[in-house]
Amino acid sequence: MSDVMIEMTEISRFFGPTRALAGVNLQVKRGEVVGFLGPNGAGKTTAMRILAGILAPTSGGARVAGIDLLSDPVEAKAKVGYLPESPPIYADMSVREYLAYLASLRRVPRKRRRDAVDRAMTRCGLDHVADRLLGNLSKGYRQRAGIAQAIVHDPQVVILDEPTVGLDPIQIREIRELIRNLGGEHSVLLSTHILPEVQMTCHRAVLIHNGTIVSDDTLEGLENRAKSGHELFVRLARPPEVSVLKSLPGIRQVEALRGGWRILVEAGANPAEALVKRSVEENWGLSELTPASHSLEEVFVNLTTREPQAVAVQESAQ
Amino acid sequence: MKPIVAIALREWRSMFLSPLAWTLLAVLFAITSWMFSAATRLYQIQQMQFQAFGGGGASLTDSTVAPMLGNAAVLLLLISPLLTMRLIAEEKRRETWPAVASSPLSPMQILLGKYFGLLLFLAVTVGLLAIPPLLLFAYGSPDGGQIFSGLLGLFLVAATFGAVGLAASAATDNPIVAAVISFGVLLSLWIASWMGEAGGTDTVDQVLAYISLTGHYEKFLTGVISSADLAYFVIVSLLALVAARYRLMAERVRG
Repeated sequence: MSDVMIEMTEISRFFGPTRALAGVNLQVKRGEVVGFLGPNGAGKTTAMRILAGILAPTSGGARVAGIDLLSDPVEAKAKVGYLPESPPIYADMSVREYLAYLASLRRVPRKRRRDAVDRAMTRCGLDHVADRLLGNLSKGYRQRAGIAQAIVHDPQVVILDEPTVGLDPIQIREIRELIRNLGGEHSVLLSTHILPEVQMTCHRAVLIHNGTIVSDDTLEGLENRAKSGHELFVRLARPPEVSVLKSLPGIRQVEALRGGWRILVEAGANPAEALVKRSVEENWGLSELTPASHSLEEVFVNLTTREPQAVAVQESAQ
Repeated sequence: MKPIVAIALREWRSMFLSPLAWTLLAVLFAITSWMFSAATRLYQIQQMQFQAFGGGGASLTDSTVAPMLGNAAVLLLLISPLLTMRLIAEEKRRETWPAVASSPLSPMQILLGKYFGLLLFLAVTVGLLAIPPLLLFAYGSPDGGQIFSGLLGLFLVAATFGAVGLAASAATDNPIVAAVISFGVLLSLWIASWMGEAGGTDTVDQVLAYISLTGHYEKFLTGVISSADLAYFVIVSLLALVAARYRLMAERVRG
């Protein structure tokens, strides 16, 4: 079997005249945890519902664990665990009954069902509420039960639509830990619009905007991209002409800012040393030199606020 | 098959956990029992008159069980949309549907699971309604075959109502809308023969009379089990299930 567990090729999806997805290509390998990021309405949920077999794409193909979702949806669905946006909770069932019921729908043999349910409950921290009715549990526990049902049948592919929504900070930490642990064994695709979540749990981040994937990169890659937009802030008591600053090697642009200078640095260059040396030689009176880098957040905002065409051009130029 | 059983058992259980099902059962049982005791009293009076003035007298089963079961079907017509409206629409409204829809099940498996769960409930209902007619055995000699045939007919009617209700519930994510749709369809099936009786020999009228549920049910009440009438109920139920299946398939495409 190939190592690609989730594969979307040129997936498009229309809702009437509205285009939700336009030619999405996505691959997730075995054991990988991939974060699916994007503003609201970007198409994250649509893509995930397609992978969960609930929605058919208008065009394009999708495979999970090597099985075609379009020609053999039932078999493909056996390989997938899916947490929808709001946890699919039966209020009249206890946590244990609920997980046992869904395990039986997902082909967990009767003999192994009890163990599977116990394991899922332990992994999601549900042991002490096992026999309580879901309708009486708090939002956080319902969310956990939702995650538990997505992994109770030990699927190869786990799709989580905003798994940490509605949880308190401690629960969020536990769930992130759980998701990190899911990787390796399972392939995980999780959507979120919280950046630190991706930084903490994912190997790779896929950014979707207006139904197209605008960036697909490892976290290191994104961090490098963030660093390449590196800048320095300098305060000088006796500044020279701007053109002198600009002439220093590795400096792209100089702007006046808060009584000092904001210096945009060319990718990969570090003009700090040259700047300090020159300042001492020419007595500029250097009083402050602060490196500032773009946060990942800014990179994302940049990617999503630009026109799609511009992004596409930039992507192909890389 | 296993997941079908799992869905059926869950559905059955959740029906008995909901006060709605209990209430409907209680109302159905109370009204039919009342009608039944009224019919038996009437029969007693008639028998006394026959004894006083001579003559053969009417059949016990025809005068008591048949009208009771006939009325029970009318009550079911009113009640079953309320029972079936939740089957799928409620799952969509409560957003539990994705958990079922993302499980490795074909739409037909889901529908059959829901349907069999409902049939279990309806079997209990018919079982309950069998109690008054069976009590007759303690006081007289009713026609056991006719009672069985009537109860079977009632179950088939209920099962057909259920299939139509299930299809209506699959068509919308609002249970009330589902109830209105199924009530409309069931009432049309019920009254089709009234539309048909006007002309008589006309083909349209004959078709309408065949489509109508009442004629087929009445045969069961008189004690006649014919394969044509059996086939009618099976066909209507299957058509409803198939329609529901296409509706669920289309949903994946339409969104």
